[in-house]
Amino acid sequence: MKSLIDGYYRVLKVTLTCLMGLMIVPVFMQVISRFTDLLPRYIWTEEVARFCFVWIIMIGSMIAVRDGTHFDVDLLPKPKRFRNRGILKLVRHFSMFALAIVFLVYGIDFAKFGMAQSSEMSGINMLSIYITFPLAGLTWILFLLEKLALDFKQIRSNREPELEA
Amino acid sequence: MSAGEAAVIMFGVFAALVLLKVPVSFALGLACLPILFIDERLTPFLLINEMWKSYNAFILLAVPFFLLAANLMNAAGITERLINLARASVGHLPGGLGHINVMVSMLFAGISGSSTADAAGIGSLLIPAMKKQGYDTSFSVAITACSSVMGVIIPPSIIMIVWGGLMSVSIGGLFLAGMVPGILIALFMMGTVLVYAKTLNYPIYKRASLMEFFQAFGKSILALVTPTIIVGGIIGGLFTPTEASVVAVLYSAFLGGLIYRAIGPKQFPRVLYDSARLSAISLFCIGTASAFGWLLAYYRVPQSLVDMVAAYGTGIITTGFIIALSFLVIGMFIDAIPAIIILGTILLPLAEKAGMHPIHFAIIGVISLAFGLVTPPYGLCLLISCSVGEIAVSKVLKDVAILLVPLLLLLGLTIVFPEIVLFLPRWLAPEFL
Repeated sequence: MKSLIDGYYRVLKVTLTCLMGLMIVPVFMQVISRFTDLLPRYIWTEEVARFCFVWIIMIGSMIAVRDGTHFDVDLLPKPKRFRNRGILKLVRHFSMFALAIVFLVYGIDFAKFGMAQSSEMSGINMLSIYITFPLAGLTWILFLLEKLALDFKQIRSNREPELEA
Repeated sequence: MSAGEAAVIMFGVFAALVLLKVPVSFALGLACLPILFIDERLTPFLLINEMWKSYNAFILLAVPFFLLAANLMNAAGITERLINLARASVGHLPGGLGHINVMVSMLFAGISGSSTADAAGIGSLLIPAMKKQGYDTSFSVAITACSSVMGVIIPPSIIMIVWGGLMSVSIGGLFLAGMVPGILIALFMMGTVLVYAKTLNYPIYKRASLMEFFQAFGKSILALVTPTIIVGGIIGGLFTPTEASVVAVLYSAFLGGLIYRAIGPKQFPRVLYDSARLSAISLFCIGTASAFGWLLAYYRVPQSLVDMVAAYGTGIITTGFIIALSFLVIGMFIDAIPAIIILGTILLPLAEKAGMHPIHFAIIGVISLAFGLVTPPYGLCLLISCSVGEIAVSKVLKDVAILLVPLLLLLGLTIVFPEIVLFLPRWLAPEFL
């Protein structure tokens, strides 16, 4: 199971890198067509760049759930006992899990709503962008289940789990 | 539900979750949920809808691009060239490396729009060098962190782009307005370094010859023209900020890849990934913050706040201090961009009511939020510099506090004398006002 999640995580990372590189192209085309006659002034460039951008944000949010790099704030002192640390983590991950469920459930509605629309400039079906929201929900659920399992283990054993994902 | 009740529920849930170390972006989204479920007119569908609306903004694309440009500049070794130039110009002053640190931050700030890239890039080169020459680690780390805040005050600036985009203020105007306060910060900080150096007897380099200065200048000239291209292009109306950010990416890739030959096909994907991930994390937070801000506005929370404050009768100066204080406090806990979305929209009617110029309001906000980059518990530049210097945050706080005094002074001056901010745009580009 872990290797499957690892694989999915790697796919997300590669996709994120490619999208970032890809996003440069349409905006640059826009600059070129403004200052030279080498390219016609396509109207879809801005829209395609914006859609890449939404995918980058949502994939980035998925990756950051797995590697725990979403910004948080250290206000309370760290509990001394591993069991209490585990409980704190469990609460944190469970709260995030609640938002993930909302994203999945209402994201599906949102995606259905997008299925009936096409974008204004390039005529792309909006489902292909709106789908990022339920997909993010689903991916967070997957990554958070892995974390919740580790938290339970830590609480039961009162020891730091060997594999801190 | 009244405005007060809605505000108490939302801020209460948010604070409780942040206290439990739930990531800020998730806490903002979760804080909207109780009301979205309770109020019959609303549904959690709106949370996603508001997030999507906030992401679907072309202007925000400038955020990942400017971060990418800054990371490429670091990878291209441009920072080292700028350090040599700074050494040849201010290295002979008492506390040489401290001055160099401040000056490089200023130069880098003119090239990049990101303070975090500044702290990471300059810190990794200068903190070890300063330690080796006998500077205290805490001072070296503190000066790196504090001087990096110029990154968001001196144009180009990611925070100003977000501000301008969200509140419909001219970004060119904001860029011009940030120049004078930014340079003043550098001068104030160099003054503080001088005091440190005299008291603690920090080492001095011998003065560089004119020849050496010109050599260093020649080696960094290609990097130094970047601000002219980006800032000049935006102010002159040649490109939109987003287009300018892509031009900055391509220019830095061109410098790093072809001219300086420091970035190869192996490093490039790594830089792409790092920039994309870091910007995605802060941009994701824009979405939930926008939903949070939208819900506050739905319950007319900003308006009731204005009515409450207006009862005391406020002029520009008092309002300015209220605004600065609010941003200083929120900046301690959350990232600048969601802070702008939540607090900026709340405070805007207040600023308007007092008759404050939108650019003046923006610069007060940006400078106050810049403090947030170095104040605990959530100060990204401080955290980065401390990890580079391998020192605990708590050990650096005293020096950070000392270095922030001149900055606070400057913030006060900007509030009391709006002309510090406004005279440059008024002189060069009155149409922005």
